[in-house]
Amino acid sequence: MADSLPTEFDVVIIGTGLPESILAAACSRSGQRVLHLDSRSYYGGNWASFSFSGLLSWLKEYQQNSDIVEESTASWQGLIHETEEAITLRKKDESIQHTEVFCYASQDMDDNIEETDALQKNTSSVTSSTTTKPLDSACLSEETHSLYATDHELPAKGTPKSDGEISLEVTDVEDTLAKEKYCGDKTCIHTVSDGDKDENKPIEEDNTDQPKRNKITYSQIVKESRRFNIDLVSKLLYSQGLLIDLLIKSNVSRYAEFKNVTRILAFREGKVEQVPCSRADVFNSKELTMVEKRILMKFLTFCLDYEQHPDQYQAFVQCSFSEYLQTKKLTPNLQHFVLHSIAMTESSCSTIDGLKATKNFLRCLGRFGNTPFLFPLYGQGEIPQCFCRMCAVFGGIYCLRHKVQCLVVDKESGRCKAIIDHLGQRINAKYFIVEDSYLSEETCSNIQYKQISRAVLITDQSILKADSDQQISILVVPPVESGTCAVRVTELCSSTMTCMKDTYLVHLTCSSSKTAREDLELVVKKLFTPFTETEIDKEELTKPRLLWALYFNMRDSSGISRSSYNGLPSNVYVCSGPDCGLGNEHAVKQAETLFQEIFPNEEFCPPPPNPEDIIFDGDDKQPEAPGTNNIIMAKLDSSDEVKT
Amino acid sequence: MSMEDYDFLFKIVLIGNAGVGKTCLVRRFTQGLFPPGQGATIGVDFMIKTVEINGEKVKLQIWDTAGQERFRSITQSYYRSANALILTYDITCEESFRCLPEWLREIEQYASNKVITVLVGNKIDLAERREVSQQRAEEFSEAQDMYYLETSAKESDNVEKLFLDLACRLISEARQNTLVNNVSSPLPGEGKSISYLTCCNFN
Ligand SMILES: Cc1cc2nc3c(=O)[nH]c(=O)nc-3n(C[C@H](O)[C@H](O)[C@H](O)COP(=O)(O)OP(=O)(O)OC[C@H]3O[C@@H](n4cnc5c(N)ncnc54)[C@H](O)[C@@H]3O)c2cc1C
Ligand SMILES: Nc1nc2c(ncn2[C@@H]2O[C@H](COP(=O)(O)OP(=O)(O)O)[C@@H](O)[C@H]2O)c(=O)[nH]1
Ligand SMILES: [Mg+2]
Repeated sequence: MADSLPTEFDVVIIGTGLPESILAAACSRSGQRVLHLDSRSYYGGNWASFSFSGLLSWLKEYQQNSDIVEESTASWQGLIHETEEAITLRKKDESIQHTEVFCYASQDMDDNIEETDALQKNTSSVTSSTTTKPLDSACLSEETHSLYATDHELPAKGTPKSDGEISLEVTDVEDTLAKEKYCGDKTCIHTVSDGDKDENKPIEEDNTDQPKRNKITYSQIVKESRRFNIDLVSKLLYSQGLLIDLLIKSNVSRYAEFKNVTRILAFREGKVEQVPCSRADVFNSKELTMVEKRILMKFLTFCLDYEQHPDQYQAFVQCSFSEYLQTKKLTPNLQHFVLHSIAMTESSCSTIDGLKATKNFLRCLGRFGNTPFLFPLYGQGEIPQCFCRMCAVFGGIYCLRHKVQCLVVDKESGRCKAIIDHLGQRINAKYFIVEDSYLSEETCSNIQYKQISRAVLITDQSILKADSDQQISILVVPPVESGTCAVRVTELCSSTMTCMKDTYLVHLTCSSSKTAREDLELVVKKLFTPFTETEIDKEELTKPRLLWALYFNMRDSSGISRSSYNGLPSNVYVCSGPDCGLGNEHAVKQAETLFQEIFPNEEFCPPPPNPEDIIFDGDDKQPEAPGTNNIIMAKLDSSDEVKT
Repeated sequence: MSMEDYDFLFKIVLIGNAGVGKTCLVRRFTQGLFPPGQGATIGVDFMIKTVEINGEKVKLQIWDTAGQERFRSITQSYYRSANALILTYDITCEESFRCLPEWLREIEQYASNKVITVLVGNKIDLAERREVSQQRAEEFSEAQDMYYLETSAKESDNVEKLFLDLACRLISEARQNTLVNNVSSPLPGEGKSISYLTCCNFN
């Protein structure tokens, strides 16, 4: 496609993470000509999700010695006029560090597994391209295999589709039908109930007599690579949170489907248990005594409108929330639940913040299900893409794999007027939005970044077995020793479309004090046991087994004030990468704040006309309904009041 | 339109290089128009057309690329939950045919493996400028296990047929699955013996 980019825009946005994508949608929706670029071949930046082999190639990129990859780029120096100066952008992303991979699953190569996934054509020699393990990494256990990274080249042209597989499969059209009909309402969020839509069925396993615990091998994981959608950030959507509200208001929700998180878990005295959170849960709980149930109900009911009862907490505003809880006659058990599983705060958090968090949790309960959280099918990485689609639908232009070399600043006005891309092309715009990791070291020299510690685990069982194996769980593990952080654990089952059947995808997150492995390994050890060949028959094994683990640190640029960046023109706006929090509130707030700053008189992401209500009329090319002046040849059914 | 106005609803997604005529095909089918107003289809996410097949109302939700194919930047989420894909190339443009394997890879990776794919060679009204022979396209589509059809959005050749055949095909797939489910056969493939309802053919 020898198509060349237009060169005049209102807004150029660099980076396709969540805040940038929301902004792109908002700008495009309000009639701005938007160019949205990403230097990578995928959407989302550090908000992306990957198939298993996709993740391995992502890793490879960060493990490669950075100075080797210098592609031929057109030089830009000659393109800067005398009246201008350039602000160069970063050439290589440095927001990911300390990546460490551990493979525990059996590497048995004669599994007799056919390559049905065309994507995996080149990965048959799993052991061939080995990256080196960092020298300092003391292994999690002796059984740890060396690092494996598969070569994730796409197959040669003309690769046939997987042979006949399609016609064999039971389709889920009826499921889709039922769902679509049920959720026909335009403000509805699709929540898919358990069981349906599960196409994660490794066919080759069905007929064999497996032992009780299925043995998943590494080559099966590789073969089922595309069943995985592994998020770089692990977040959930509060069902009354800003992101859900925005998705519904802007109708972007129609591009995604969600599942309710099914369980809130707690980790206490070495045991994982389920936290009762709805009224029904509280009363049905077997762990709580009747007295405890009443005390808990009473306390939670108070939290729901604590502002109305200042007498109940006024005396404790100087105390920490955990100290406050001790005064409320809550048993240690209940204190633990409230502090770590409901408020999900650090012990040191203030009474007011704790009450606020508890209230927020309770407020979100029951909107879509039994817990206050939703998870997007196919992973969190879908969400930025959904906003990008909205931007494109309103005329925004998308270009991945497009590097920007520098911003061009007009010396006299001090304003940025253009970018120069890797082809040496100058693209003009009025406003520029840049994601933090694209800015050069020089621009960021005053900034002290925080870090996020992450682990991604593939396991063979849930951390808390239940009747259904399709559970989505969240667990906060309190700090192991003082000075360390609480670790947030999210366990996803295969029906979230993020991992293959008979596996779980587990995300661990905390704010870093050391490397990700150092921060998280202890918690991993408490909850899981490494997979080994010999133990397979022993029934004493109760913990889920680790098949594969990845640790990495991600830069947290969320708390940086605009003024900390050196020499940025006033019409260049900065979006931060993912923050450490559980929700997406930070990203949404940032996008809305920046949008209002740039376009103070425009509405932020108003609802678009519903395509179902567009009646085409050949003669009438004038749009009629207010607020839809971007519709060409479309007329809105005037009776339609778009409600949110 | 109220929810009860149809018996089936299917999501159909168009892909293929920019300029091959995807938007024209959709417009021709849903509105009977050619050429559509110049410029991109702004603000319209998908189009709806309800057709009646053997007395049943089938609502087709037809999604266009929103221009993201222009620089090879289609979002993965575009492919999710599509029931059918129409992969389009331009018979007067060899390049658009040569890009098909790349598109198939995207399908392979992001679409459901139960999706029905149709290959469409568009612009047959420009026969004198044809660069891709019908035979070559047929061989290719056969090897890839796809249906193949040649169309002209301009002359309205085969456009109705394309969407109606697809609708029939989707109905029979949906039906077959209901049948399979009813006889409670958990194993994939067992439904094979139940014959397709044959209200139409692709070729
Ligand atoms: C965990 C939790 C989550 C909540 N989430 C929300 C929410 O998302 N949205 C919202 O609007 N409200 C929520 N609420 C508030 C709740 O729904 C009620 O508004 C509140 O509990 C008061 O109800 P009530 O006045 O009907 O009291 P009642 O139901 O009459 O209960 C009064 C007291 O009687 C006792 N009691 C009642 N039934 C039983 C039983 N079966 N076994 C033992 N003791 C019993 C309890 O001690 C209780 O405190 C939540 C409450 C809790 C505890
Ligand atoms: N002759 C002819 N031109 C067509 C046909 N379909 C589309 N075109 C033209 O091809 C160009 C691109 O069409 P468009 O639908 O925008 O392609 P898209 O980018 O795939 O959506 C336009 O100039 C159309 O007028 C066709 O069937 N015959
Ligand atoms: Mg088009």
